[in-house]
Amino acid sequence: MGFWWVFTRLGRALLTAWGIASAIFLTVHLLPASADEFTLGEPNELGSAASLRTSASRQAAQQALRHRLGLDEPVFYLTRTTGPPVRWQWHGRHNQYHHWLSLLLHGNLGYSYRTSQPVAALLGAALVYTTPLMALASTLATGLAIWLALGLVNSPTAPRRWQTVVRTLLTGIQALPLFSLSLALLLLLANRDLLNVLPADGMGADYPPLGSMAWVVSYGTHLVLPLLSLVLAVLPQLTLPLEAALRQELRADYASTARAKGLTSWQVAYRHALPNALLPLLTTFTGLLPTMVAGTVVVEVLFALPGMGRLLAGAAATHDYPLVIASVLLTAAARMLALLLADILYFWTDPRLRPS
Amino acid sequence: MSVRWPAVFFTKVPHQLALGWLALVVLAGLAGPALPLPYPPTTPDLLHIAAPPAWSGPGPLHYLGTDPTGRDVLAELLFGARQLLLLSLPAAVAATLLGALAGGAAGFWGNRGLAVPWAAVPATIAAAWWVAELPQRLILALSLFAISILLLKSNRWLSWRYSASASKATLFFPLDSLVLGSATLLSAVPRLVLVMALAAGPPLGTGGLLVLLLLVAWPDAARLVRAQMLRVRTQPFVEAARAAGLPAGRIWWRHALPHACRPLWAFAPLNVAGLIGLESTLAFLGIGLAPTASSWGRLLSTLPQEPTAWWLVAGPGLALLFTLLALQHLASWLSAKQHAEQLGPN
Amino acid sequence: MRYLWFGSYSLALLLSACSSPANRQAGDPIRIRWARDPETLDPLVQPNQNTVEAINLLHLGLLQLNFQTSEYDPALAEALPAVQLLGDSLTQLDYHLRAAATWDDGHPVLATDVNFTLKLLNCPGLPSEGVRSQFGFIQQLQLDPTDPRHFKLVCQGQAPEYPWESGDFPILPEATLDPTHSLRQFSLASLQQAAKTPPTVLLAFAKRYQTLSQGYYPNRVPGCGPYRLAGWQPNRSLTFERKATWWADRLRPAPLVLQAHPKIIKYVILPDDGAAMLALRRHELDVYPAMQARAFQRLKALPFAQQELAFYSSASYDLLYAGFNTRRPTLRDKLTRQALSCLFDPAGLLAGTQLGQGQRTVGLLPPSSPFYNDSLPLPTYDPACAAQLLRRAGWQLVAGGWRRPPAQRLVLSLRYRANDETFETVALQFRAAAAKLDIPVELRPTEATTLNHTLHAGDFDVFVRILKGSPSGFNFAPILHSRAVREGNFVGYTSPTTDSLLEAIVAAGPPARKRQLLRKFQVLLREESPLLPLFFMSYRLAADRHLSHLLPSGLKPGYSAAAIISSDGLPAAPH
Repeated sequence: MGFWWVFTRLGRALLTAWGIASAIFLTVHLLPASADEFTLGEPNELGSAASLRTSASRQAAQQALRHRLGLDEPVFYLTRTTGPPVRWQWHGRHNQYHHWLSLLLHGNLGYSYRTSQPVAALLGAALVYTTPLMALASTLATGLAIWLALGLVNSPTAPRRWQTVVRTLLTGIQALPLFSLSLALLLLLANRDLLNVLPADGMGADYPPLGSMAWVVSYGTHLVLPLLSLVLAVLPQLTLPLEAALRQELRADYASTARAKGLTSWQVAYRHALPNALLPLLTTFTGLLPTMVAGTVVVEVLFALPGMGRLLAGAAATHDYPLVIASVLLTAAARMLALLLADILYFWTDPRLRPS
Repeated sequence: MSVRWPAVFFTKVPHQLALGWLALVVLAGLAGPALPLPYPPTTPDLLHIAAPPAWSGPGPLHYLGTDPTGRDVLAELLFGARQLLLLSLPAAVAATLLGALAGGAAGFWGNRGLAVPWAAVPATIAAAWWVAELPQRLILALSLFAISILLLKSNRWLSWRYSASASKATLFFPLDSLVLGSATLLSAVPRLVLVMALAAGPPLGTGGLLVLLLLVAWPDAARLVRAQMLRVRTQPFVEAARAAGLPAGRIWWRHALPHACRPLWAFAPLNVAGLIGLESTLAFLGIGLAPTASSWGRLLSTLPQEPTAWWLVAGPGLALLFTLLALQHLASWLSAKQHAEQLGPN
Repeated sequence: MRYLWFGSYSLALLLSACSSPANRQAGDPIRIRWARDPETLDPLVQPNQNTVEAINLLHLGLLQLNFQTSEYDPALAEALPAVQLLGDSLTQLDYHLRAAATWDDGHPVLATDVNFTLKLLNCPGLPSEGVRSQFGFIQQLQLDPTDPRHFKLVCQGQAPEYPWESGDFPILPEATLDPTHSLRQFSLASLQQAAKTPPTVLLAFAKRYQTLSQGYYPNRVPGCGPYRLAGWQPNRSLTFERKATWWADRLRPAPLVLQAHPKIIKYVILPDDGAAMLALRRHELDVYPAMQARAFQRLKALPFAQQELAFYSSASYDLLYAGFNTRRPTLRDKLTRQALSCLFDPAGLLAGTQLGQGQRTVGLLPPSSPFYNDSLPLPTYDPACAAQLLRRAGWQLVAGGWRRPPAQRLVLSLRYRANDETFETVALQFRAAAAKLDIPVELRPTEATTLNHTLHAGDFDVFVRILKGSPSGFNFAPILHSRAVREGNFVGYTSPTTDSLLEAIVAAGPPARKRQLLRKFQVLLREESPLLPLFFMSYRLAADRHLSHLLPSGLKPGYSAAAIISSDGLPAAPH
């Protein structure tokens, strides 16, 4: 292992991300429903303005729009005509895919169809909200999951009542969809009828000046509810497999040796069983990393946070392809990098697995 | 002293509860249409939309309330059990199995384990060219096939003449990259893009939905098993089996894979919950199950339309919770039994 | 670690309990809820309704919609334009701009600004395709050399809506956007031609316009409206500040459309209805427009609500209706369509989905309209009548469904927009009713983007959707004329009688003749039943009790933000 291995894996990861984005590019551009419908409005409203648009002017507007967005060019270098005889046609460099690729290689992610704003700016503005929240949530969730799993497994003789309760609670949380969980928290903690302790919307409309203590407090209290729902939502799928793996490891021979040496059951679990149990679940834990760029639509909609999840949902609903493809690229790259990180951690901690 | 499963875990009561609940779900699923229900499923009662549970009053009652479109929750629960049996459980099991096989193979053979003869390359190109109907496909296909046969013959002659160089005429099949790449592709595609792509096509039947859920859910199991397999294949018993001369396939199937699948026991019940959630999301967005099919996930997903309707979460939520607990109990019992069997002959 | 967690949590609780929500104070901004971001404030691109609302605060057009009377009133213009028909194909509209109208820097608003705005709409390279087709009927603007505020618009065609449609666009300042007057050399007609290779002057102008980025920095191009953008946090909130000196403040008497009372208007973007409701109850929000029926009832029933909130409900022009695909062989005859119309239950659906808040109708006009044909019975749920009509149409009930010789089977597919419980309830009710008569119905909830596509393609038997109407909307050609078959006429209905009737309705002048024609039209619609109107929806609004003069109406957005009067401390006027 070494620098060269990491470098090749990194290269491969980025190439895969590019491949995925290209596949999505081709898929969305070959869909029948198109982007112009949302810019030109629906044809059958009964307002007098709509009736004044004749079919010809509407066609002309559609043509003009497609030309401006570059949608009247062929999609890829090759196109295949259906029907006998099947023929393939070469288009050279005048196709949408080539334009997208050349822009990408210059670092430009394109411009939104709806507002002509650069996509990178939109993504950046959304990431400012998503990344800190998800990073905090992931860290908290990881720490809490490890601590809970160790607690659930720590039963020298008989299982304690609280362990069964916690396990049942976690399964219950897993059974609920994320929306129900968040809504339950919102109705519990931000409701005039019950506990009215936390604000209802995620970031608040009126903010104290930036940088002051009041700002920190305000920001913190506004983040509590989304953070809580995110952590609770992801906790069961981290804790329960980890607990099962820990139980597995504690049955192994080295664990009994450690106990025979005189270590307490906590030390056995924490120092010896945990690293072994954690390894196969590294991918599950590093799977939290892509959510830092992907965001969660449900939480963002409920708590009015202008994050990546909402951005992508809006873009997909209005067929704003540059935005969709750029966020897919970002998410795929993040996912590949998370996998790479998991593999690096894996090989670093367990020397037996290093590729020779 | 090694930690055993606490003895109380195997006393009758929790065991019976778990199996009893699962039997109830199966029975409800199978006998649903024959039961005399006050209201049929998927029929809106326009006078009682989003009505809370009523236990006393005139006429047939909604014992568990109605959802925001007027469907009776009790009927939906009973018929949803049917959906669970027909769709979610088989999809979860199939996704876990597929993931285990793919991940196990990727972890065991990696990128350099499987060797494919050079002759396969021109043959694959010829097949792809033919299917894609690229120009001059007949001539090209024939010539490529001829090349591949030539390569096979020369390979055999080379290995007869120079036995050492036989291994040089092969290509490493990048199984690991392929499995990881397709797993990433499926999980990197945002659900909404998937919906956009699928919504343009014809509506899915139950079979189509099963395939869709399978495709979306197998990457998680695959990654888990692959990670575990990377550890298992370095274990001494695998090396011993290799030294004993067993073929690689047999080692993988009989020895390595069962060990690598151990983390799946705890993971599989969670997968069921995830699939139910996914299936309801798909229905929510307009593809997948027709609205005339009842499902627990669909009931849960109607909560945003009526946020204060606690009965929409209580009924299906509790049912799902009990099912998951029962499945978890079953999974841990089976896993402990498997472990006891492994310890048995010692 | 657990102590740290609990400790920080309790600290958070303590600190937030100190900042409990307070009631409205005098001088607080008026906070209105929006469900989505306007995305851009460029008048050439108007992606959604919120953009239109924001642009109406920043800019003014020649005419502005009066929410109280549902008619257009003159804003920048002194009066409604004088209409003169030229020949039989042209209309001339005569406008005079107000003498008092000025831009922020004191320069008057002149006809050259209007001329510039029209040319801007048609300039190539700008994202104005939508509005361009909307104003394509204006062919020419004739300036008056003697009066810089007087001009005439020449329009192609002679539709009666031209007078008010021509004035519905924000006028932009030429001095800021085109200081070198580079567009003056081009005539409007030449710009509308849309040449393949536009001249470099135009391309340079378009580029300059784009770099100005008016959509995100509207203060770079100040309009003549009452408000200025004070702050915009994308996807979170927008704040508008009243200009200290606005030209319309000097007008006496102040016309309703030129009144702007609030000092600061703040739009808060809360996409989730439940969260918005909580915010309203905690006084973090003052106006909650477009409320769902059930939430409205629930809120009204709460004890504190009557003291702290005011509730408004007005009839809107949005019609929920079902349409039949008249191109399909099974639905080609009117008796089958009438039979299927009897299987919908409009009364039950109105009571169930809208809690009775809405208006049932016999045709495409609301009952409050003076042209409503009250001699027709309301459509009701009548399965016996449906069976009888099917038999009259030649269908026979055999084991397994209805069949009509030679080989037709009555099997239907119903399309509607997914993710909407109203449509789903309607669809399920129809399916249950049809199932009682042994008619299999396949429900196809379709995602919004694909739905339009499938409706255009005719890939359905029945659909359910909402038709957005307007108060003066008597032009039903976009949905029923045979010319619109590939456009808005989803049902595919083509009939020469209906075509001529629709054209006559549009052309009719005197109300008596109009009433006669519209009554005839409603009878014809009932006979032929290519679509079944279920009910008109209502528009509900909840606001803080200290706010009055919201002008609630059925027109989008349902209130007038600039007209709100905040009477803090005083009892509000009853609604």
